[in-house]
Amino acid sequence: MSISRRTFLKISSATSAGLLVTGRSELKGAQEQGGRSDAADERWVPSVCLQCPGGCGILVRVVEGRAVKIEGNPKHPINEGVLCPKGQIGLQILYDPDRIKGPLLRVGARGAGQWKQIGWDEAVQRVVSRLKALRARGEAHTFVFMNGRNRGQMGDLIGRFCSAYGTPNNVGHSSICADGSALAHYLTQGIKSYLGYDWDRTNYLLCFGAGFVEAWRPTTRLLRAYGHMRRGRPIRAKIVQVDTRFSVSAAKADEWIAIRPGTDGALALGIAHVIVKEQLYDEAFVARHTFGFEDWTDAKTGESRLGFKSLVLREYAPEKVSKITGVPVETIVRIAREFAATRPAIAAGERGASMQSNGIYNRMAIHSLNALVGSIDTPGGVIVQRGPSFTAWPDVVQDDLAKVGIKMHRVDSAGTARFPLAGKVYQGLPEAILGEGPYPVKALFAYYTNPLFSTPDVGRFYKAIEKVPFVVSFTPFMDETSEHADLILPDHTYLERWHDDVIYPSLGYPVVGLRQPVVKPLYDTRNSGDLLIQIAKGIGGSVARSFPWTDFVDLLKFRFRGVWEGRRGTIVAPSFAAFWKKLTEDGVWAAPPYRFGEWGEVLKTQTKKFEFYSNALEHKLHDLAKKEVEKAGEKGSEVTEAQALERILVGLKLTARGPKVYLPHYEPFRAPGDPRQFPLLLNTYKLMTHAEGRGANVPWLQEVLGVHTGMKWESWVEINPKTAAELGIADGDPVWVESQVGKLRTRARLYPGAQPDVVNMPFELGHQAYGRWAKGRGVNPNWILVNEYDYLGGTAGFFSTRVKIFKA
Amino acid sequence: MPRWGMVIDLDKCTACQSCTVACRVENNVPIAGQRDSSNGRAIFWNEVIPVIEGDGTHLKGRFIPRPCMHCENPPCVQVCPVGATFKDAEGIVRQDYQRCIGCRYCTVACPYGARYFNWRAPEFAESHASYRNPDAPARPRPVGVVEKCTFCVQRIERARRRVAAEGRELRDGDVVPACVQTCPGRARFFGDLDDKHSQVSRLARSPRALRFLEDLGTRPQVIYLMEG
Repeated sequence: MSISRRTFLKISSATSAGLLVTGRSELKGAQEQGGRSDAADERWVPSVCLQCPGGCGILVRVVEGRAVKIEGNPKHPINEGVLCPKGQIGLQILYDPDRIKGPLLRVGARGAGQWKQIGWDEAVQRVVSRLKALRARGEAHTFVFMNGRNRGQMGDLIGRFCSAYGTPNNVGHSSICADGSALAHYLTQGIKSYLGYDWDRTNYLLCFGAGFVEAWRPTTRLLRAYGHMRRGRPIRAKIVQVDTRFSVSAAKADEWIAIRPGTDGALALGIAHVIVKEQLYDEAFVARHTFGFEDWTDAKTGESRLGFKSLVLREYAPEKVSKITGVPVETIVRIAREFAATRPAIAAGERGASMQSNGIYNRMAIHSLNALVGSIDTPGGVIVQRGPSFTAWPDVVQDDLAKVGIKMHRVDSAGTARFPLAGKVYQGLPEAILGEGPYPVKALFAYYTNPLFSTPDVGRFYKAIEKVPFVVSFTPFMDETSEHADLILPDHTYLERWHDDVIYPSLGYPVVGLRQPVVKPLYDTRNSGDLLIQIAKGIGGSVARSFPWTDFVDLLKFRFRGVWEGRRGTIVAPSFAAFWKKLTEDGVWAAPPYRFGEWGEVLKTQTKKFEFYSNALEHKLHDLAKKEVEKAGEKGSEVTEAQALERILVGLKLTARGPKVYLPHYEPFRAPGDPRQFPLLLNTYKLMTHAEGRGANVPWLQEVLGVHTGMKWESWVEINPKTAAELGIADGDPVWVESQVGKLRTRARLYPGAQPDVVNMPFELGHQAYGRWAKGRGVNPNWILVNEYDYLGGTAGFFSTRVKIFKA
Repeated sequence: MPRWGMVIDLDKCTACQSCTVACRVENNVPIAGQRDSSNGRAIFWNEVIPVIEGDGTHLKGRFIPRPCMHCENPPCVQVCPVGATFKDAEGIVRQDYQRCIGCRYCTVACPYGARYFNWRAPEFAESHASYRNPDAPARPRPVGVVEKCTFCVQRIERARRRVAAEGRELRDGDVVPACVQTCPGRARFFGDLDDKHSQVSRLARSPRALRFLEDLGTRPQVIYLMEG
């Protein structure tokens, strides 16, 4: 490494350039002022962070009623006392001068920023009367509840609200997050969620398109794991990063494997080919715990079916895979041997692999590697997160209006032949609202989510929201969606409210943190949990009866009673009151250790095995085909099931046919547009400082925005230096990045870690609202991203945009 | 009398910049804003410096968290014409804001770029006042003076008061600067380099240990452990 004096100075060189003498008038400011010792009114309040879904425990130092520092809570097993930069900056969320300070009613045009302050009673009454009127007209299903970072009981509460009210349209944001992974886990393990990983004991991490030390989750847990894997134990784990760019995670890995976008699945299958061919796989695990490895015969039809082994041997030889992925043959063979020999090994993957037009199959292929080396439910392998034993919810009370409404088709077509495995299609709402959906959307709630910023081809949402007659936002901040709302019912920030936080899948054993107010709410804001209960009560009847709690804390206590009754974990108390008191003091309840070998919890597929061949997928597609046959029959036309299935597969843009459809395989990556007109692929990514899309209003994060480029407060596009030279672009030049959707003006950074035909832009900036520190700064790549899908799961293909770049 | 020092294990560091942010929160370091940031005038008592070399797929990227090195032989102290910067009895290079005349000789002399000048009144001073760290040594600095990492002296003082109240001497691990406390990879260590049993002095004897720009004779009290 060449570390010279210049290395340290080039960053801060401007500081010493020139000699400027400034006035000394403020020198008297240097006198001691307001200095204090720690005898004054000072306390540390435990709570839970909300800067990502990680759920880290925090301790907030409160001096004379002001929160002045946030540290990690040593008792919380996710972060054990440490904290990432996003966790450190919470004070600038709490004390953001541009927070919404009370309920607001729009008085001007949509988005014009003209508001009237109203009282809470009036605000609640307006919502209640709108929702009641919709129900009375039998239009409960036209109400859409968009929600994002729910955490803890808020997710269930929102689901419950929708069920009681009578709408199927509870639209969470995971189809633009990382649903591709959850669905791949569902198809192979029968578990529709993210999985945990026993990082501390793994010896080899093969990481596909996940920003392990930048943007994966739970952030602090991963950062801790990284340190532990390197030097926290006698054996140093090897980390191999498969990535389309030289990310910080790639730099911090032992090896970076540069790969063509959207081809991660092919690489995984090439690795599987070598492992199978050289018989390096865990034969005992494969024989005992997997289904569909060998060719097999369908007992019902007597047909012979293709197994995973035959498929990878036949189709994914390293030579062929190398042509698809751009990864050298020797590398594929070597990584395969290392991965199989250095057990326990983990193959992990996230957005770079999962949120592609072929994302679910990519993730199935990657996850299959874990099964091949027996890394499922083993120390140092993949584990399955267990939850706390909350008291079961009482049944939702549904009147006839609710029963009818809930049975309506979802407005986003999730679960239909268009998006068979989808639970929700967040980014598909604009088309649904603008006329493709089965019915108009007449009311929309947005809780902790900002579709007018976060969806690909985001301009569509600006058009769509104009068609919705009643939009309500719950956020503490004036983000883009709030700016286009009719009514804003601002929540507290997370440092002012009661809320629980069940950890993101990670440690395996149950953990739940308690978020509690560290200071009194600064403004006239209200806990959205309280508010939903209040609105339900206002609607009355069966909706009200579904919410027998006085407020959100009452609901939390109801649910936590079950945890107390379990009499296990870090808090065991003689009474619930004592349990609750200790919970407020510790900030967390946990029940370690992880229990290995509970196979019923780990493999929940139809066969109770890891399914290389997914029965669930086969059944789903065949069921949908049967429905199509019935539908056609009703219309008097005759369609066979095979024909209907073929139509569905064509609609899903899948190239595979036959049993291959249900096996991990490589579907060619799709990127619409003409490569001659738009010769570069646009890769987007999240920075450590990104706070999952919510960090742009935080000066502390803005000022350390891109550690690998040194960029602060503004956006950039990373271009390979050779490509830039061909285009006549120099470092720092203003450039246009143009796709078939639109163009953005930003700054070029020549970055050797960009591949010649792929340019990289981070998310985070480019807000049109969201307070003084976010608004009008940088660009948001979502304005030029093509809205491509992995139709199978209704998930966004975030990396399918072709662009050209030219000097501005 | 301890001689304070820090060890940073680059193999455990994740380049997350939590140290940078925690330091700025703890020490009331002002926000510079876009204009001053792009002019290189943002103040970072601790900054993570990227070093990316090579091309194609043969790239090596390193990220070096850089606090003040608190050199045993600090060039900044030698050039200060007014004695505003000095080495205190416990080995910390301190800055007396009342003596500093803003000449920035020290800023030029420091080979690590660890010293920063307050060019103007901080942006967003008003909202920052809401959550300012009230501890005396961390109070905001005036315009026209140089500032730098102090190893969180206010935390050293607080640790002293705490152990005094407990009626005992300082032990290894009692003093935890903000960057060390938050470090998610647990890559940072702080303690007495003269105590041969302390964690920092044991780590400083590691075969991976390295002091940057040793050839300049600065003898840094921040020691790095190399990767791999």
